[in-house]
Amino acid sequence: MSQTKDDGKNRGHRSKINIDDGKQENVENMHENSLIVQQFQAYAAELDDKHDRFERIVKIGRDINIESKRIIFLLHTIDKKSKQESVLCEANLRLQKVAQHQFKAIAFELKDQDPYLYLKGYRNGLEEYIEAVTFYQYLKYDNMENWLELEKTLTYTFPEKSKTIQILISPFEYILGIADLTGELMRQCINTLALGDRASCYQTCNFVRNIYKGFLGCASVSNREIHRKLSTLKQSLHKIESVCYTIKVRGSEIPKHLLVDVATGEYADSDEGYQAY
Amino acid sequence: MAVRISEIFNSFQDYLNNEEELREEIRATVRNLEKSARDILMILQNIHNENNMEENIISQYCATSRELFIDVRKNYAKLAEVVPRDQYYRFYEQWRFVTQKLCFLASLIIYLEIKVLVTKETVAEILGVKNNREDGFHLDLEDYLMGLLQLSAELSRFAINSVTNGDYNRPIEIARFVNDLNAGFRLLNLKNDSLRKRFDGLKYAVKKVEEVVYDLSIRGLKPSPDSITEKGE
Repeated sequence: MSQTKDDGKNRGHRSKINIDDGKQENVENMHENSLIVQQFQAYAAELDDKHDRFERIVKIGRDINIESKRIIFLLHTIDKKSKQESVLCEANLRLQKVAQHQFKAIAFELKDQDPYLYLKGYRNGLEEYIEAVTFYQYLKYDNMENWLELEKTLTYTFPEKSKTIQILISPFEYILGIADLTGELMRQCINTLALGDRASCYQTCNFVRNIYKGFLGCASVSNREIHRKLSTLKQSLHKIESVCYTIKVRGSEIPKHLLVDVATGEYADSDEGYQAY
Repeated sequence: MAVRISEIFNSFQDYLNNEEELREEIRATVRNLEKSARDILMILQNIHNENNMEENIISQYCATSRELFIDVRKNYAKLAEVVPRDQYYRFYEQWRFVTQKLCFLASLIIYLEIKVLVTKETVAEILGVKNNREDGFHLDLEDYLMGLLQLSAELSRFAINSVTNGDYNRPIEIARFVNDLNAGFRLLNLKNDSLRKRFDGLKYAVKKVEEVVYDLSIRGLKPSPDSITEKGE
C-alpha cells in the first residue's frame, strides 16, 4: 500500500504545495484520494435517491391524507335519504380519483423498491384513506371489505415495464384505519339521531360493537398504537350505547329534534367536537 | 355483517401470529450474531495492548477474527432464508445494530491488514450478504456508513495507545486515513437522522488524532517521511 508524505492535516492545502515538490507524488496522492471520493460519490448518489424518493412519497401521502379527510367530511353531509345517492356517488368518484392519481404515483415510486422501507412515508395517508373507504362502504353497503380486496383495487400495471405493483397495505394499517372509522361512526350516529333516524343508530351501535369485539381478540398484541386506539374506540362505543339508551328510555317523551341534545348532553365534557358538524 | 367483521379480525390475528413467529426466529439468529460480534470485538481490543508487533496484530488478531466471521456468514445465511423476499425492511430494526457493529469490525480488520478503507462490496462479502438490494438479503448502505463512523472512533483511540506503546508511525497513518474518511463523508447529504448525529462525532476523532500528530511533531518524535514510506510499502 502506498503511503505519501502527507501528514494528514489540510490535505487539500498540502497537495497544492506538493505540485512544487514533485509531480510524481501529487499524482499518486490524487489517485488515492479519488478512489475514496469516487466510492463516496456513489454512496452519496444512493443516499440522495433514497431520501428524495422518501420525500416525494411523503408529499403524495399528505395529499392523500387531506383528500381523504375531505371525503369523510363529505360523507357526513348526508342528511336526507334523497341526498344520500348523490353524495355517495360523488364520494366514490373522489375515492377512485385518489386511487387513480395519488396511489398510482406512489406505486410508480415504489417499483423495484422494498415497500416496507417507504411505508413510513405514506402510512398516515393510507390510514386516512382506509378510514374514508370503509366509511363509504359502511354507508353504502352496511359492510366492509377485507384489506386484500382493497389491495386489489390499488394494483397498477406499468405497461412499459410490464410490471404490476400493488400498494402495500399492511394489515396493521388497515386495522388502525378501522379503529379510526369508529370515531366517524360515532359522529354519524349522533347526526342521524338529530335527523330522527333511530333505526340507523341501533345499526351503527351493533356495527361498532362488533368491531370492538374484534379488537378485544387482538388485545394481546403489545402494540402501543393499538392500545391507544382501543381506548378511544371504547369511548366512542360508550357514547353510541348511551345514545341508544336515551332513545329507548326517553324517545317517546321528547320531540325528535331535542332528543339529540339530551342524548349527547351527558357527554359534553368528553366532547370531541362532533356538535360542530 | 358480524360474520364479515369477525372474519377480518380473524385473519388479522393470523397475520399477527405469523409475524410473531417470524420475529422469534429472527431474534434467535440475531442473538447468535450479537455473540459473534462481541467475541470479535474482544479479540480486536487486544490491538491496544502494550508491546504489540505489527505482525502480531495481523497474524494473530485479524486471523482469529476472520475465523469467527465464518459463523457470522452462516447466521446471515440463515437470516436470508427466514426473511421473505422484499420484506427486508419489515424486520430491519432487528438486525440493524448488530450489522452496524459487524461492519465496523470488518472495516477494522481490513484497515489493520492493508490500511485501506474497505468498500461496501467487500464488507458485504465478509458478512456473507449481498451488496445490492435486488440480489436478496443485502447490506444496507447506512449500516455500512455507521460502521465506518464507529471505526473512526476506535482508530482515534488506537492512535493514542500506539504512541504509548512507542509506535510513532501509526498515528500519522491513522491521521491520513481519518482525514480521507472525513473528506468522503462530507460528500454525503445527510438527513437529520442517526447517521448525521454519528457523523458529527467524526470531527472529534479527527481532532484527537491531529492532536496526537501535533504532539509528536513539536517534540521531534515524528518519524522522518522516508521511514513511513518504507513501512507502508
